Amino acid sequence: MKEEPIKSFRDIPGDEVIFSGTPACAGCGGLLTLRHCLKALGDRIVIVNAACCFTLLAIYPLTPFRNSWLYTAMASAPAGAQGVRDALDVLIEKGKLDSEEDLKVVVLTGDGSAYDMGLSSTSGALDRDLDFYYICYDNEAYGNTGFQKSGATPLGSKTATTPPGKRHPMGSELPKKDLFDIWKSHRPPYLATISPAYPLDLINKFRRAGQHRGPKLFISLVPCPPGWGTDPSRSVDLAKLSVETGVWALKEAVSGEVRHTVVPKRFKPVEEYLRGQGRFAHLFRPARQEETLMEIQERVDEYWRLHKLLL
Amino acid sequence: MLSLRVHGRGGQGVKVASRILGTAAFLEGFYVQDFPLYGAERRGAPIAAFVHISEDPIMERGVISDPDMVVVMDETLLQDAGAKPLSGLRTNGVVLINTSRTPEEVTADHGVEAQVVTLDMTKMSLTMLGESILSTPAGSAAAGIVGIGEEYLKEAAERVLAGILSEGEGLDENVKLALSVFRAVTPLDIKTVEAPPEASPVIIVSFEPAQISSPTINALGNSPLRRTGNWRVFRPVWNHKVCTKCMACLARCPDGCISLDEEGFPCVDYENCKGCLICVRACPAEGIEKVREAQVL
Amino acid sequence: MKRDMLTGNAAAAWGVRLAEVDYVPAYPITPQTEIIETLAKWISDGMMDARFVSMDSEHSMITAAGAASATGARTFTATSSQGLLYGFEMIYTVAGWRVPLVMVNVSRGLSSPLTLEPDHNDIFAIRDSGFLQIHCETCQEVLDSIILAYRLAEDEQVLLPVMVNMDGFYLSFTREPVEIPDPEEVREFLPPYRPKHAFFMASRPMAQGVAVLGGSAYSYFKYQMHLASLKALEVYGEICAEFEKKFHRGYGPVEGYMLEDAEYALVMAGSFSTLGKKAVKRARDRGIRAGLLKLRLLRPFPEAYIRRALEGKRAVSVLDQNISVGKGGILYSEVASCLFNSKKKPVLLSFIGGLGGKNISPQEFEFIFEKMIEAFEGGPSGPHLLYTEKEWDDISILKRTAEKEGDA
Repeated sequence: MKEEPIKSFRDIPGDEVIFSGTPACAGCGGLLTLRHCLKALGDRIVIVNAACCFTLLAIYPLTPFRNSWLYTAMASAPAGAQGVRDALDVLIEKGKLDSEEDLKVVVLTGDGSAYDMGLSSTSGALDRDLDFYYICYDNEAYGNTGFQKSGATPLGSKTATTPPGKRHPMGSELPKKDLFDIWKSHRPPYLATISPAYPLDLINKFRRAGQHRGPKLFISLVPCPPGWGTDPSRSVDLAKLSVETGVWALKEAVSGEVRHTVVPKRFKPVEEYLRGQGRFAHLFRPARQEETLMEIQERVDEYWRLHKLLL
Repeated sequence: MLSLRVHGRGGQGVKVASRILGTAAFLEGFYVQDFPLYGAERRGAPIAAFVHISEDPIMERGVISDPDMVVVMDETLLQDAGAKPLSGLRTNGVVLINTSRTPEEVTADHGVEAQVVTLDMTKMSLTMLGESILSTPAGSAAAGIVGIGEEYLKEAAERVLAGILSEGEGLDENVKLALSVFRAVTPLDIKTVEAPPEASPVIIVSFEPAQISSPTINALGNSPLRRTGNWRVFRPVWNHKVCTKCMACLARCPDGCISLDEEGFPCVDYENCKGCLICVRACPAEGIEKVREAQVL
Repeated sequence: MKRDMLTGNAAAAWGVRLAEVDYVPAYPITPQTEIIETLAKWISDGMMDARFVSMDSEHSMITAAGAASATGARTFTATSSQGLLYGFEMIYTVAGWRVPLVMVNVSRGLSSPLTLEPDHNDIFAIRDSGFLQIHCETCQEVLDSIILAYRLAEDEQVLLPVMVNMDGFYLSFTREPVEIPDPEEVREFLPPYRPKHAFFMASRPMAQGVAVLGGSAYSYFKYQMHLASLKALEVYGEICAEFEKKFHRGYGPVEGYMLEDAEYALVMAGSFSTLGKKAVKRARDRGIRAGLLKLRLLRPFPEAYIRRALEGKRAVSVLDQNISVGKGGILYSEVASCLFNSKKKPVLLSFIGGLGGKNISPQEFEFIFEKMIEAFEGGPSGPHLLYTEKEWDDISILKRTAEKEGDA
């Protein structure tokens, strides 16, 4: 992998590793993320997948991938990655497989598996210092089953299981789990947040990650038109807004040391990001839920204050 | 008993359409059974819903393989090998299609052997609601053709849509659209003949070793065969005079449908472009236009 | 070839070592833990050229094992009861992947109530999954069955994973004389695994375990698994004939003990078949023409073998060391369905015994033969839950100690 960081769209590798014709929704922020990640990784990979929307990218007899793929189950993609990685290593070691046949192992999951059910197997893989990549595309709910609350659902979000009502007007009443910190506590060599709206930042992060052996993990906040109640054409704009309002921090942690890679010079108010989304509409209509809106803004401000990037 | 199948794509409101029809029939006093068949929640995937309407208790379960009437909310499904919306339609059956073309044109194009009723639901919805909402017109048109009373259709639309929209979110406009569409169609006396069953005898399944019979795919990157270009309502069209070749559109397309031609201008795989229109918004020169999809692939 | 005193667990470890397995992902659970500890030691000392990984749960362990097998490595792992059920969905998944993973289950009763001692509810819970099942009576069978299992699983006509079952404690921790075959001879019998249908390599990408939508497509894949399992019965016969020629030990899908001329037959599986055989001998001494049918291959279910063995008998008792709560013995139902259409079907009785490692005493075996003779003369009875008076007295004391009894 080249070490030079790329600076413009022209430098993005041209070849597609994932082809069109997938049943992913039009405007899927996760698909855009994956497209860029695979451009960074190339096709000498095997993707090990846990149950999520992207499980349906490969439906017999069609696959969009030029690379290999293994669907495992919802909780254990990192364990599947362990098996593939170890098998490749031992087969090559024993001379049963040519070293030119080696592949990078890439776990691909949604937030449901990453934040909830798959925590145990991920912790195990991190603990064992497995040499693999992990890409989590986070649309902040269990998307494939109809957008129900997950550990990644933020405060105030409508989901199918946290519908705003008379007794519970807020929607989701719990804050979002901090997966970045959970993973970071295992001190993997490389960990980063990425965004489909910042492909140069994304690809450069993969290039930096590629210099390390061991777990290399990525979390991407991805707009989800059906789940977020937004127009497919706005997915990139929303991803940009999530960064510009400070809701989604773009950062990396190399062996636990955190550095922010994109910091807005002036943060836009979080409301600008929330207002256009159907899943937050109840915070504005029929009446503004001021307390909740303030709390959401406050949590974002608190994060940046803690990192000394906001006065 | 009347059995209907409603075909569309995920996100088009197939389930809601079937429920508007089912509820209307229920309110008029019929026995009704309706259900949608879908797997993962996904916009664009072909979806079907089934509705039985009867004066007697309904002794049916499962999918309807020989409907009296088929509603096709997305005409591109007529070519979709997976969807096959007309399969099993009984002789003298009725097909209601959302299209801007005439019944004769549709019959000629697709070799449809049935009574074809056409209605440009997309246009009616765009005109009255400003967006393409197909559930309301599809359910209402079906109710009209089947001969349900207007007052029941109105109440059904209000009930079903109230669960989805709130006041001020377009509930009234949708009900207006429902009635408009309902009045635009003529009730038909649908009397079908049970079609001779497709001759497909039961076989003895023969053994095939795992190299053939395992659920693996040896082909690479063959998903473009799915031709998701069928999903579009609008298509992006480039203006090369304005294009600065900045490649923002290439970078922003989630499906990787945009590549460069010999002159370095963006060119699009329209066979698979889903019409998300991210590229239209991403172009800094405002050089991409969104055009209503009239052509069927 | 050497001969030594080995526990069932040690014999299993030897089977794995002789099979020259590449990869062992592991997770501990009583009573299988010694298997993985032995393998870990050999690998650490370089006596076995393989990779060993301690996993974070059985669900992860079975996933890793299946994934390694799907990559093209010969893989082994072991578990028991709670662990097997914790990874239950992956058992079905790995079978559906059509990869030749071989596992050992050391059978143990299922919680609740929690126990460590053996019965067959755990292994039978996976009978529908697509895993083939071989049940062992002796420690020798354990070693031999693992070698047979790899040969069976990796056969191109089969390509289904195999579970070798041994009873916890009564085999896993019990030592018996075992012949350890010569590695070179085993290598001749079991060639290296060179998959043509499932592997990961850069030059030939493939998508494995993909989703399938549409009932008829799904049905195709499941039907083919079933047909492959039935094919495995033929293949099993062929490879056991080859094994017998080479190692002088024969293993049919079933084993008859004094069965040919028997009028009254017992049907059992697992290590307690030894007690069953002893009971048959004692019954013969009492003048009863008794016999025993031991089931070794449970999946595929050796339908024709069982029917041939039991047709024409006066009465047959299936002794289940498992219970399907609300119905009765699992093997009983399977044997009954196999005999149902036979014109010479025997009277069939059901006995449940040995749950959670409970002993089956000579008195209980006598009871079984008594009931069979009664049934032949006057019609069947049961199903019978085997329990002795002494056992009832014992549990009564326990109940009182736990203050569970009312005023005595």
